[in-house]
Amino acid sequence: MAITYEDVSESFRRIALSGRLDGRGTGEIAVKFAALSTAAKHRVVVDLTGINFLASIGIRALLSSAKALQQNGGRMVLFVGGNPAVTKTLEATGIDALIPMFADAAEAEKAALA
Amino acid sequence: MTPFATPRHAIDPVVDLSIGVDTSEARRASTWLGEAGSARGIPAEPLWRLDLCVTEALANVIAHGGAGTGSSTIRLRLDVRRGASGGEASVTVSDAGIKYDPLTAPLKARPRTLADAEPGGQGLTMLRKFSDALDYAYSEGRNHLTIRVRWDQDKAAP
Repeated sequence: MAITYEDVSESFRRIALSGRLDGRGTGEIAVKFAALSTAAKHRVVVDLTGINFLASIGIRALLSSAKALQQNGGRMVLFVGGNPAVTKTLEATGIDALIPMFADAAEAEKAALA
Repeated sequence: MTPFATPRHAIDPVVDLSIGVDTSEARRASTWLGEAGSARGIPAEPLWRLDLCVTEALANVIAHGGAGTGSSTIRLRLDVRRGASGGEASVTVSDAGIKYDPLTAPLKARPRTLADAEPGGQGLTMLRKFSDALDYAYSEGRNHLTIRVRWDQDKAAP
């Protein structure tokens, strides 16, 4: 698992995850992801285009950070690109209705900053 | 080459694996499934669904299996059947944890908003949605969950 981030502005951060978000993979990034996604930056786009496998434990990590961010007045959106594995998993579990999900990067940023 | 050597094409449709009860072992099971499934001709899409379901079944055993699983092993059996028009693959997951039938376990109500969302419950949803059939039995102190996926040869990408 890899996790990288880029601060676009004072209040806007992009976080990119890549690899396999199963039990082991999520364990590898969970603490850093929670810290990066719920810190002072209020608007966060999480780039999941490099995720080749998303298990429920990975969804749980996304949900808990999105929820914490929202409680602090922030917002998380997901950028999935054309990634079918991630898209199907998020749709099947209804997570796309809770955390906005976009195939287009520009639309994801726009929604995060709206 | 001896006259008794197994020809390369005669790959056994059934293959077994035993793993310990932790997340690294679950990853090992996924790697095994990917390799054994590909070698037996399961197309990528049903193999991905099977991998997801097995991952969720194992995560459940690891998280909720109870004391019985700790000193035990989880057994997996992959069985691949292919015909002219398609195929079916199953993985049976067998564990000595507490009795748990994912076919009858209640699904959590789907939250409408992020504020209402509570962690957990997605694994069972995924297991049911991404499999084509599930069978469960409890015998000799073990759970036996069989996850099946099917595919049409025409639709499956090469």
